[in-house]
Amino acid sequence: MSKILVIDDDVDLSAVAKGVLEREGFTVILASNGEEGLTQARKEKPDLIILDITMPVMDGYTFANEFNRDMTIANIPVVALTSYVESPLDQPVPFQVTEWVKKPLKPKDLVLLVKKYLKNSRKAT
Amino acid sequence: MPVAGYIPELKALKLRLNVFIKMRWLVVLGIIAVTLSAKYLFNISFNALPVFIICLFLLAYNLLMYLWNRRLAKDDTELVIKRAQTSGYIQVLFDLGILTILLHFTGGITNPFVFVYVIHTTAASILLTKRRAYELTTIAVGMAALLAFLEYSSVIGHVNLISFVPSTIYRQLNYVISIIVTLALLTYTSTYITTAVAGELRQQHLKMDLLRDKLLKEDELELQRISSEVNRLKDERSSFVRLLNVVTHDLQAPLVAVQSCISYVLDGYAGDIAEEQKNWLQRGSRRIDSLLILITDLLDIPRIELGQLKQEMTELPLNEIIIHSTEGLDIIAKKKGLQFMVDIPRKSPVVNGSSRRLQQVITNLINNAINYTKEGGITVKLTETESEVRIDIIDTGIGVPAKDLPKLFDEFYRGSNVESKGSGLGLSIARRIIAAHGGKIWAESPNPDTGQGSKFTFIMPKKIDNSQINII
Repeated sequence: MSKILVIDDDVDLSAVAKGVLEREGFTVILASNGEEGLTQARKEKPDLIILDITMPVMDGYTFANEFNRDMTIANIPVVALTSYVESPLDQPVPFQVTEWVKKPLKPKDLVLLVKKYLKNSRKAT
Repeated sequence: MPVAGYIPELKALKLRLNVFIKMRWLVVLGIIAVTLSAKYLFNISFNALPVFIICLFLLAYNLLMYLWNRRLAKDDTELVIKRAQTSGYIQVLFDLGILTILLHFTGGITNPFVFVYVIHTTAASILLTKRRAYELTTIAVGMAALLAFLEYSSVIGHVNLISFVPSTIYRQLNYVISIIVTLALLTYTSTYITTAVAGELRQQHLKMDLLRDKLLKEDELELQRISSEVNRLKDERSSFVRLLNVVTHDLQAPLVAVQSCISYVLDGYAGDIAEEQKNWLQRGSRRIDSLLILITDLLDIPRIELGQLKQEMTELPLNEIIIHSTEGLDIIAKKKGLQFMVDIPRKSPVVNGSSRRLQQVITNLINNAINYTKEGGITVKLTETESEVRIDIIDTGIGVPAKDLPKLFDEFYRGSNVESKGSGLGLSIARRIIAAHGGKIWAESPNPDTGQGSKFTFIMPKKIDNSQINII
């Protein structure tokens, strides 16, 4: 079963993502900031990371930089979910992720996005 | 800083020293010419050999001075004025000495060239300070008097200028005194006049220099003031942009969360919902969508105005921008039963611009065209001239009433024949973006080429070829 780590400080958005993705048969782990996200990524070795940018304690930029430096997890694909102002089109960003996606993301688009990276999910019954 | 090390006084001094050296070359020629003509033209007989020896010495001495001067010209230390003045003083002193010796071998004070001392003292007056000039004048008169006295009292010999002056006149006291007095009168008067004039000039020069330094300093202060003001404004601007980003994010974040929660229910993740419940949730969802667009658009305006766009500018092939902008929209148009045509040149013109912003404009115009067209089609056309690119977005839709056309690109202006959709800011943002690119945007309705629908056009300058810049 594919594991997805969702790093977002917005509890409502996290809850929606968790609900939607679990319904699709994925295992969802939640983290509310970059620091927690790093710990979880190292511990759980997820198959995909969905990352918010603006967060307390450790933001998405810092997370991505730390993440890319850690060879044990750096190969995990990271999708950055951003609101308008944080987009790399808006300003040059000092780090790399696998893909940028703009918020808001409709549940079915979220599912499509995740399936792009994880094809071997088990359909919920 | 004022031009460092530039002292006009010094420059003048060096120049004058050079003039003296040039003069001295000529003087040697002059002495030889006078000597020869005196001997052979006027048949004045005297021994010319010492004169020629002195001439040789003069040449050697002048060469030495020439080299000294060249060294002074390269000297940039503050002491250089002092050194140049010392050099000038020593040169005049030497010249006086040589003149005296030369006179001794050519008839002493019976030689009319005895008045050449005036030239030396005048030169000293121009070149040196007042005190030095008077010092040298006194030395000159002293040397002449000493020469006359020594010859008069037979301490040294006297060379007779035979057949020019009576051979005993150098022993006539009244003659000797009258020559010396005349010489003193001439030299002191000339020194007085010359130092007065030179002093006046020097004063004015100094005043001008001071004035120039003062003006330069004022300019510099003004420049500093302006640049600190510019920096202050830059800081203010960037902190305002930061504030805008935070405000945008914080306004959007809860709306995004609300939207996601509604979608969660709408898409059935929270269990099946009835059609009526679905409808009400969709109404709410649509309002949140438009509020999100309004926030983005509203906060877009200051970002464009604050020049953020300028920082994003790169060289862009416009064909690519158009193709990216139409992605997805062609599908929407075709779903609506509309034709969708993109007409671009084979070789893409290049502009200097923000890829994201230009796509925003084109997407916005195409979206409008699709929204207001029920049948027919939409054409996106790119053409270019020598210096400009032109993009037309042509539709066969309901068009824009003539009275709306002038205000179409104003904030929150909506056409009188359309239902409100979007924030009402799209076209005003498009106008600002195109203006920031140095271009112009306008609308024509009905399209003058077909008599129906509308045609939105914007033009902007092409990127200047680097090779052209090099030529300029």
